[in-house]
Amino acid sequence: MSANIREILIGFGKGKQTDIATANLVANIWQLKKLNAALANPKLNTESDAEEFGKGHEFATQVFKTSWDIAGTIEKYLSSDIAAWAMAFGLGKVVKSGATPNFTYTCTPLNPTADGIELPYFSFIEQIRPGGSSVIDRMAVGCAVEGWTIMVGSGPGRANSKINIEFVSSGKLTEPSGITLPAATVEKLLPSASLTLTINSVDYVTNKNIVSLDFGWKNNIRLDAGFFPGSGFQSAGDATSGAIRGRLECGNRQGSLKFVARFASGSPELTSLKNQTTGTAVIALQYDANNKLTVTFHKVSFSAAEVGDTDGLVTVAVECQPQYDATNGVLSAVALCNTDGICQ
Amino acid sequence: MPKVWMRGPEGGEPKEVEATPEILVPLLVQGWSQCDPPEEVTEDVREHS
Repeated sequence: MSANIREILIGFGKGKQTDIATANLVANIWQLKKLNAALANPKLNTESDAEEFGKGHEFATQVFKTSWDIAGTIEKYLSSDIAAWAMAFGLGKVVKSGATPNFTYTCTPLNPTADGIELPYFSFIEQIRPGGSSVIDRMAVGCAVEGWTIMVGSGPGRANSKINIEFVSSGKLTEPSGITLPAATVEKLLPSASLTLTINSVDYVTNKNIVSLDFGWKNNIRLDAGFFPGSGFQSAGDATSGAIRGRLECGNRQGSLKFVARFASGSPELTSLKNQTTGTAVIALQYDANNKLTVTFHKVSFSAAEVGDTDGLVTVAVECQPQYDATNGVLSAVALCNTDGICQ
Repeated sequence: MPKVWMRGPEGGEPKEVEATPEILVPLLVQGWSQCDPPEEVTEDVREHS
């Protein structure tokens, strides 16, 4: 019987794996809903003996499993729970405080000197009709967040506050997953209407000028470096099963922040660009006092400011250049939610 | 205000700090990490002969 793609269930490690090859236990996995239909399909890379001499021709007579790739994107309405998860796994370093049911996760990017460059790992499960006659039931083990982007727009609907999370994997696949997903977590959404935003000392909500805002983080994970002598195989000890990655390390990390605001007499964006004024950018979205996300870029200047229009009104589109602050680094995130154990 | 235990990048004795971003973020940037509280030392009250 054919299956509807909307039957897809996803679950992933709320807590981190103990190492890249050891899957999350079911107690440490949560199920959340998502918006995109795309699946994290495993890709088997192969090679053949076509180039080898001694066969008498240039055609392949054998194909070999080389390696496995698994990657995916989770698109969601922004909630306090997924925000906390994305900040913790995406930035890599987290301090948990608070007590049931109100937790605070203070997150920063890894300090490569003290923390190394290996990101926390999680398992990612996709299922359609799991059980005896499953359509899809698989688990990618050893995944890491490649990056996240939060998009805040104008309008009353949930679609005006979304997050996209990209992830990559070691390539290790468990099929069937062997996981019975828990009931989907009831999330606390962080709507666009709750935004507070101050950039370079300008409060863009109080002056009613903000139109839209995108901000994000990218780890530029060193995928090729994940394969090293001894990195392992899809089936442990089976050299014919294809290699998998033994580490996922961040490369040159990048923060991004851009926004569109109404532009009027006295608007400071062009002057700030010309003077390369620096300041903080503080972005906050809230459900209630215990479900909130605050992201602070500790030092930004403007790298571009272009005047245009939005719906017939004059606006300025600004791209910020995040810089490293000697005390507070590039950015930090403080995520409050009711969910315990994120990235623990 | 909740407190958390943090350990410096060079190891050493953990330190209990208030869990505010103003305190935690500079520590994290310097390489400090959250750690378990130190085990309490129970005084040996046995009499020695």
